[in-house]
Amino acid sequence: MTTTKFSGYRRKELFWLYLFVAPPVLGFLLFGLAPMLFSIYISFQNWDMLTSPTSAGLGNYKELLQDEKVFKSLFNTVYLMIGIPIGMVISLLLAILMNRPLKGISFMRTIYYLPVISPIIAVSLLWQWILNKDYGLLNNLLWDWFGIQGPNWLGDADWVKPSLILIGLWGGVGGNMVLYLAGLQSIASSYYEAAEIDGAGAWHKFTKITVPLLTPIHFFVLVMGIIGAFQSFSQIYVLAVDGGPEYSGATIVFYIFEHAFKYFNMGYASAAAWLLGILIFIVTLIQFKLSNKWVYQD
Amino acid sequence: MVKRKMKWSMVLLLALTLVSSACSGGGNTPEPSGNNAGEEQTNAGSGSGDNKEPVTIEFMGHGNPTEKSIFEKLIASFEDKYPNVTVKYTSVPPGEYAQKMKTLIASGKAPDVFYVGSAEFYRFAEAGTLLNIQPYLDQTSLFNPDNVWKQAMDRYRYDGSKIGSGDSYGLPKDVGPWAMVYNKDLFDKAGVPVPSAKAGEWTWNDMLDAAKKLTSDENGDGKPEVYGVGAYSLESAVWGNGGEFIDYAAGEVKVDQPEFYEAMQFVADLNLVHKVSPDQEAEQAMNAYTRFLNGQLAMFAMGPWDQPGFWELPFGWDIAAWPASPNTGKTATWLGSMGFGISAKSKHPQEAFDLAAFLSLDADGQRENFTLGQAVPNLIDMANGEFLEMDKSPANRQVFLDIIQDYGRPDIPYGSKDTQWIDTFWQNASKVWTGEMTAKDWTAQMKPQMQELYDKNNK
Repeated sequence: MTTTKFSGYRRKELFWLYLFVAPPVLGFLLFGLAPMLFSIYISFQNWDMLTSPTSAGLGNYKELLQDEKVFKSLFNTVYLMIGIPIGMVISLLLAILMNRPLKGISFMRTIYYLPVISPIIAVSLLWQWILNKDYGLLNNLLWDWFGIQGPNWLGDADWVKPSLILIGLWGGVGGNMVLYLAGLQSIASSYYEAAEIDGAGAWHKFTKITVPLLTPIHFFVLVMGIIGAFQSFSQIYVLAVDGGPEYSGATIVFYIFEHAFKYFNMGYASAAAWLLGILIFIVTLIQFKLSNKWVYQD
Repeated sequence: MVKRKMKWSMVLLLALTLVSSACSGGGNTPEPSGNNAGEEQTNAGSGSGDNKEPVTIEFMGHGNPTEKSIFEKLIASFEDKYPNVTVKYTSVPPGEYAQKMKTLIASGKAPDVFYVGSAEFYRFAEAGTLLNIQPYLDQTSLFNPDNVWKQAMDRYRYDGSKIGSGDSYGLPKDVGPWAMVYNKDLFDKAGVPVPSAKAGEWTWNDMLDAAKKLTSDENGDGKPEVYGVGAYSLESAVWGNGGEFIDYAAGEVKVDQPEFYEAMQFVADLNLVHKVSPDQEAEQAMNAYTRFLNGQLAMFAMGPWDQPGFWELPFGWDIAAWPASPNTGKTATWLGSMGFGISAKSKHPQEAFDLAAFLSLDADGQRENFTLGQAVPNLIDMANGEFLEMDKSPANRQVFLDIIQDYGRPDIPYGSKDTQWIDTFWQNASKVWTGEMTAKDWTAQMKPQMQELYDKNNK
């Protein structure tokens, strides 16, 4: 008697459990898994969205490995990752600056966080003007203050990527700063007190306590940064029209987009997307393996 | 993996959404782009007092707000004439159009009537997406085919393997002759005679002489404030010189021929040697269109759709024939066109055809279109009559008609199912424009690459 009542209650609870879990699960199956499976299938086909797909075997993958633009866009993508370590250093320094109990500090934090929540397209359009060779803010400042004739940031094949890194830094340090800030505030002050008693100076406290204890944050920022860099697209689409001069600004996602929505080679684009997915998977896996060696866990 | 991948695809999806919502207003193309996102305009049909069954036709296009309002008016008068037909008109931002169209076709929901551009036409016709309208065309009493530009009608013919001949699969929305435009005030100020409106009279050398006199660097900083010529059409130079980008009949890329690279070098040298044209950096900083509007560029290029913008200018301007190559004495330029296609899956092909024919050729609509400076009329008698008499710039409107009839040619992507071969060309051409390589060496290097891309995707 009591058991049936209990199981009835349990059944009811399970019903609600599944009901509440259903929307995200169904959403994932329908809009996540199904398109993914379809894209695996289509990556072995030729499909232009007009006629029905025809089998391509491994053709798309073979073609990918022969296209010099794939390697060029992969190189560009990896090049942009130079911004990750630079961004980490800047955000850590910012976080330390912002970690002090000053008046109006939350206002300052907000200012640095603002780029993170600004719409990327609007921001990219602004940067397009800032980086304009003749009329841009940046080159005018360089000229007025230092007498330097600035480069043609977005128009010169050698300067497109540094420009993109610069923009990425501006947009990215705020988010990482908040992460570091949380990390800094979770470090118990007893470590520092103990170190002070032993006669440690500010530099030693920083290198021997702050940096090692923040390794989980470093790790997170690094992993997310690399994944984010592999996926960079929107700012490229706006700032490096048609891939930029000599395709110097095109990233791998831009390449995929071009083949999917300009040439409508859906099969080929799916194959490239899977190549990228596998690449990100491998890189992330390696990072996790290596993390045992340098990430400090409590 | 699954999680990462999902996150990735979501980010991409998000990025795509952002991009597609933002890119509509960002282009630098001379054609003004509309940005009223996919707003649907449904004019409820009257459909009363007629025993025909009511029919709804879907029509999708793109274009600027002017074009949209013209079409809304046209559709309203179409519905008056055909009371049983209701037209559902959707205007999409130009940047999103190709994507949206392909998605609709792939999901079997193609609109009954829709815009179809030059490179798409080939693919659509081959894929069986477009209805063969020849039977309807042969029967119709709506218009006289001899009164429509043959050059425009032929763009939309497909004989089962190639385009340009055979049955009609579309009707022209417009013809876009790409003419040379010049700033009359600058010519007068420099005391240089203006270019001739007649093809063949004015050569590259004449243009170069004029451009040298027109280019001026008033403050002496090494960067001219006024340039002689900008965004000079490579197509015009190559074709005028007897060269070809490609021989579609043989499927052979011809950029490595002397006629081609000589012409390309001539265009590059306008900047590199003669300094009468902005270099790539200057072009990036301020494009030729803006320079022309600012009165800082003497010679530039325009299509009929640029007229409304140019009517506002404080200086006098007119159009001329493109300069002829001194080697051949000939000139050429491209003649763009956009068409109306009818879906092969349309349930009401007759009504869809009637709508396309009305939009393409109705005299009132054509009149409104050219008075507002959107296009040259598709109807020959109207173009030769009212259009020529119109009392607005350009004075030499005959140039537009000459291009249509005599020396205009389809733009390059016409005839290609896949345009990667020519896109690669433009993407890498800066090697020549910056003087890093000569046109001869560079085209020799590019040719095999372009040929491979063409063969892979078009044969």
